[in-house]
Amino acid sequence: MRLVRPTLVLFASLVLPQIALAASPQIGAPAPDFTLKTVDGKTFSLAEAARTHKAVVVMFIATKCPYSNAYNDRMREMAAAYEKQGIVFAGINSNKSEPADEVVSHAKQHGLAFPLMKDPENKVADLYDARHTPEIFVVDPQGKLRYHGRIDENYEDPAKVASPDLKNALDAMLVGKAIARAETKAFGCSIKRV
Amino acid sequence: MAALLLAASGSLAQGTRLAGEVDAGGLSERIAREKGHVVLVNFWATWCVPCREEFPDLSRLQKAYAAKGLRVIGISTDLERETPAVEKFLGEQKPGFPNYRKKKGGDDQQFIDAIDASWGGELPFTVLYASDGRKARVLSGKRPYSEYEKEVRALLR
Repeated sequence: MRLVRPTLVLFASLVLPQIALAASPQIGAPAPDFTLKTVDGKTFSLAEAARTHKAVVVMFIATKCPYSNAYNDRMREMAAAYEKQGIVFAGINSNKSEPADEVVSHAKQHGLAFPLMKDPENKVADLYDARHTPEIFVVDPQGKLRYHGRIDENYEDPAKVASPDLKNALDAMLVGKAIARAETKAFGCSIKRV
Repeated sequence: MAALLLAASGSLAQGTRLAGEVDAGGLSERIAREKGHVVLVNFWATWCVPCREEFPDLSRLQKAYAAKGLRVIGISTDLERETPAVEKFLGEQKPGFPNYRKKKGGDDQQFIDAIDASWGGELPFTVLYASDGRKARVLSGKRPYSEYEKEVRALLR
């Protein structure tokens, strides 16, 4: 049997003539600003939140995605813990198939107390090239993107997490250190765009 | 016993059972075995609604273009404990192409990056390989049958 090494696959990916996907904002570059209405009628401005916090955690999440739902408890607990340290979490639902009333009832069911927004016509998801849920972007007080990726590597069992990537990134930001792993990936549900 | 083996063999041929586990290296080897054919690899999961929705189209595609040189391979990213649900789904779908489960263990990011650097981990995700084994196209998310057909026909020319 002929063996094809993974390195060849990686090389092939670099020479693809076309990829039908936009580019995500780069780490260290300005994060695209946006303003959305929260599901409880307030206005959430990324620029304003960034100016008034040590970091903003923008999370593209869903009500029906099992991968996103596996993180409800972790999102709720991290949001509460980091709020005390000056970091704000915000959830964006860009799925066309999940209306605002469903986002409200889902948040109530799971105790999600952070700002939650619908993203009409997935405009913010497009700005960030967010592909799936859950997908996380962390913005610093200067409005720059500092982290992009997953909450951790183990959606199945929070007790067995070996790589708490979002927590590591936030802890590094709080003490002014460089984030060791600023871009991570995990499986997730595609965002259902218009 | 012979009848049982035959039944199992038939199930595998129809794709109604998992054909095994693969990691990224194993999948590369599996694709290489199809050199001379256009290969469409679709990554899916039972919990992924758009994956389930487009799955019948992939069966239809395989049936329509197998004789012209298409080979479809499915990769379930479900967890090992979800194998019964995976095989129940395959039993219902009777896809007519082989399906493997992503091998347990390791960091999913290594698997995702090895398949394609542009892949963020969203499902479904599809990669098309030309008949010379070259990766030709990646498609993120659910796509209509007409788009898969167009991409496959372009590579079969």
